[in-house]
Amino acid sequence: MRWRLICDDNVHASFGLAADEVLTRRVGLGKSVPVLRLYSYKNYCALVGRFQDVHSELNLDYCKQSALSINRRPTGGGAIFMGENQLGVAMCIPGKDDDTYGRARELMARFSEGIISGLNALGVAAQFRRKNDIEVDGRKIAGLGIFRDSSGGLLFHSSILVDMDIAMMLKVLNTPFEKISDKEVATVAERITTVCREGKRRIAISEMRVKISEGYQKVFNISFEKDDFSLEEKEEIADLEKEKYLRQDWVFQTPHVKDSVGMAKLKTEKGLLDIRLTLAGQQIKALFIRGDFFAAENAVADLEGSFRWHSSNQQKIEDTLNKVYTLRKNELSSLPLEALKKAVNQALQRAKILERKQASEPYGCFVTPGGNAHV
Amino acid sequence: MSKKDYNFPADLHYDGKNHMWVKKENDNIVLVGIDAIGLDTLGDLAYITLKPEGTIVKKGEPIGTLEAAKMTGDIFAPVSGKISAVNAACVENPGIVNDDHYGKGWMVAIDASDWSTESTALISGEKLQPWIEAETHRMETQGFDA
Repeated sequence: MRWRLICDDNVHASFGLAADEVLTRRVGLGKSVPVLRLYSYKNYCALVGRFQDVHSELNLDYCKQSALSINRRPTGGGAIFMGENQLGVAMCIPGKDDDTYGRARELMARFSEGIISGLNALGVAAQFRRKNDIEVDGRKIAGLGIFRDSSGGLLFHSSILVDMDIAMMLKVLNTPFEKISDKEVATVAERITTVCREGKRRIAISEMRVKISEGYQKVFNISFEKDDFSLEEKEEIADLEKEKYLRQDWVFQTPHVKDSVGMAKLKTEKGLLDIRLTLAGQQIKALFIRGDFFAAENAVADLEGSFRWHSSNQQKIEDTLNKVYTLRKNELSSLPLEALKKAVNQALQRAKILERKQASEPYGCFVTPGGNAHV
Repeated sequence: MSKKDYNFPADLHYDGKNHMWVKKENDNIVLVGIDAIGLDTLGDLAYITLKPEGTIVKKGEPIGTLEAAKMTGDIFAPVSGKISAVNAACVENPGIVNDDHYGKGWMVAIDASDWSTESTALISGEKLQPWIEAETHRMETQGFDA
């Protein structure tokens, strides 16, 4: 089967997102064959997930000062920082009645195979990590998301960290820690990774594109025809930018479920343990583990990654912690499991208290009298 | 591969395309929620928005949006009519849907405008068991409903 391959660079946030959605809709409606779009954003932009709150996720003052564009993706997950050194991947495919994907038991894993194949070809030992990351030995190298358009089209999104200015990223994205120190930059640098770092050389976006497109050809048994947006698509993209992605009520909408962050600090025999846990309703959105203990950073990153969009059920939390400790016993030997369980539980209980307090405030971000706005 | 045992209460009607359940209440009022395969397909829900009371919807059109563990997307109306009630509790806490999607996790009530016609396209009664078996098999072999 022949797909379209569209490559573009230096795109503005609103154009980048509107283009993906228009392509997905057109594929869903049968107006286009499937499309793989490999693109990069103009330096820089910050894109929050579909239901995130830009005020809590981004340092808006810094974004304004630095003239960064901000926007909201149709896909879920966390806020991302994009520029010329991050490759955006948009795979737009029909949803139902397409045998090509019929045997895909786990969609996200299946769709990420082209990226993994491309990364492997560059010597990067990347693998899929449930639910929505690609990682290299516990360190995230790409985020993943899927959006199902009402036309029936499916958009698979990924952002691949070819390289990353972590200090800049931490100025743009809010973290639950009070200040951004050199230590924090170093910690984050050890818990995520980039293609250049893993490949041990400078890898250009153009080279990445070749490898990723080859990866998809191999995995899906397809061929590509290099293409551009049609005139009709350009018009639809411009319209969608105006109707949605350039509108303040899209970008600045507030979620009904407000995040609550709980913290816990615990002295252990191996050092101080500093935990931050972000809760959205009953789901743990993120767990941040800091402190002055000496554990392998990739193992700690693996622990943190295991709690992205994790149930807040106590037994499930314990099960996950036990599972990671079983796999990484030696690397985590200086981070006592029982102390971590206790600290995570304390942070969770505090987040729940905060959540209840927010819920009792009549005019918070929850449903306001008169019903919900549907955006 | 272990066979999943999905629960489909026999007193409900199901939208086979979008995996929504429909419960007929008094007059033409129906309660609407997501069924077991729909939820399993999406993964745990994290966020939901729903169109407000009074909105006129057509069968197959979006009545809201959701973010789940595996994807974001629209929630589709299984029948046409006017949204007569919105379950604010599940918007505030989508975990209710994860825990009790046939009960407290109902999403909207719709005053159905053409129940007698549209209900014939929903799955219920003697059609239910064959459909459950076919869908369960499809989930096991494909793992996805788009």
